[in-house]
Amino acid sequence: MFGLLQIVSSTLASNTISPRRVIFLLYEASLCLIATHFFRFFLIKAKWFNLSLPKLIPGVIVSSCVMGVTVYFSRMPASLLLGLFDTAVAFDVRHILGLTSFYMLIFFWWSVLYFTYYYFERYNRSLKYETSVIEIELSNLKSQLNPHFIFNALNSIRALVDENPAKSKQAINQLSNILRSSLASDKKDLTSFNEELKTVKDYLGLESIRFEERLKTEFDIDPASQHFLVPPLMIQTLVENGIKHGISKLTAGGIIQVKTNVEKDRLKIHIRNSGHIVNGSRRSKNGLGLKNTAQRLKLIYSGAASFRIVNENDNFVLTEIIIPQTHNL
Amino acid sequence: MRALIVDDERLARKELIKLLEDHPSIEVVGEAMNADEANEMVNELNPDLLFLDIQMPGKTGFQLLEELDAVPLVVFTTAYDEFALKAFEVNALDYLLKPIQPERLSETIAKLSEKERAKIAAVRGPEKKLGLNDQVFVKDGDRCWFVSLSNVRMFESDGNYIKVYFDNNRPMIHKSLNALDEKLDERAFFRASRKHIVNLSWVEGIEPWFNGGLMVKLRGGDKVEVSRRQAAKFKDMMSL
Repeated sequence: MFGLLQIVSSTLASNTISPRRVIFLLYEASLCLIATHFFRFFLIKAKWFNLSLPKLIPGVIVSSCVMGVTVYFSRMPASLLLGLFDTAVAFDVRHILGLTSFYMLIFFWWSVLYFTYYYFERYNRSLKYETSVIEIELSNLKSQLNPHFIFNALNSIRALVDENPAKSKQAINQLSNILRSSLASDKKDLTSFNEELKTVKDYLGLESIRFEERLKTEFDIDPASQHFLVPPLMIQTLVENGIKHGISKLTAGGIIQVKTNVEKDRLKIHIRNSGHIVNGSRRSKNGLGLKNTAQRLKLIYSGAASFRIVNENDNFVLTEIIIPQTHNL
Repeated sequence: MRALIVDDERLARKELIKLLEDHPSIEVVGEAMNADEANEMVNELNPDLLFLDIQMPGKTGFQLLEELDAVPLVVFTTAYDEFALKAFEVNALDYLLKPIQPERLSETIAKLSEKERAKIAAVRGPEKKLGLNDQVFVKDGDRCWFVSLSNVRMFESDGNYIKVYFDNNRPMIHKSLNALDEKLDERAFFRASRKHIVNLSWVEGIEPWFNGGLMVKLRGGDKVEVSRRQAAKFKDMMSL
């Protein structure tokens, strides 16, 4: 690209065109090409792209000077051979200065173009990278059904087939609903509240088969909740968390309560479960699950949602999520 | 074989009992809902076999086994538990995944019958003391073993723990050496000193030691000092 530019500009500059002149111009162009090529190599090697502008600009000016002078003197052998050499002109200070600064200017503009192109590419790449990172992060944070739950549910259903065929049929429907919403949740970031509530009810229905009289459930749902969108399987995950770490640990069992309430365009979801958070026992897998929930809310609502889990009193753990109204899917 | 089923879910127990109906060699003698109940029933009913769930309210299945003195044959049952499955695979313990496949259960029972025959062929220790044919359950971090006492060279007390020497392993169990000593069959195990109990069938050589004590060499190279007080008793036992 540069070579062509050089030829065109040089051709325009000199009106007379002889074959020797063309050969000389080609030589000149390739000199410039070599010079910029080495300069580029040097830039990468010396990591100039990471320099700040105040450091970079003098560097580029100095290098342009060096390249300009080098190219000017490297021209001489060729012009000698081609018989275009004129000692008086070649060593005339004004001529030297003029041509050298001409080359310098060309090299300087080359640098400006090259750096602009480079930074633009880099910015583009980093943008792409950032969005893909967020996407990957979100999909990793998405709740997934716990395999332990699925297999236990299947085991209960197997036993139920003999004992209570009607109930086992219902259980199969509940399980397939849950599996369906789990598959659907991979595709979308938000789902309607009612959809999620149904999943939670199906989930608790199945866990009740497993835990029998050890699990009691209570719902207290504000009708206005249905206008909200929530991250799929998020409430289900938190309810499951309450069962896994609360009720399943208690020999006598306990209660799970899901309560919602809408205040000033914000949906407040309270999940209470029997049990107690012992500080320090919340590490490893469970701690990660809760951290994921918090992170997921942050990514989806960029700070407008809140999440906390606390011991409400000695017997109950309260999990609270507050979600803002989302107007568009 | 007399089996005890330990699972916190009624339906899971019911399903297993149902599946076991096809196997007349297994007689279900009891059902326990948690580890504490199971512990009592094991001592009371002395079953040959445990079907044991791992995740239960209160204590886990592993904790139950650690509490038991002599451990019957054990088949773990679990729905899905990454950590437990890893332990099983590493240690080749027998396990069934819920929902249990009838064919898989048949395989397990065939394997158990073999083990049981080997066990019955050996003479049982008297009055419920732990003899060479009994096995104990040892867990050390993620690794766990059922160890036949015949493979244990010696026990060494270390604070509140006992180091169990077998093969190249020395896992710790949370017990006192005195309590263990009372449970072990004295014809098979000897209390060498305050710190050590040795398995007599592993003794390879005996040398006199300082202060009228003895130095006992075990197969495998371990050396244990027998205190003066115990030395006379030891000589008695080892001589005809």
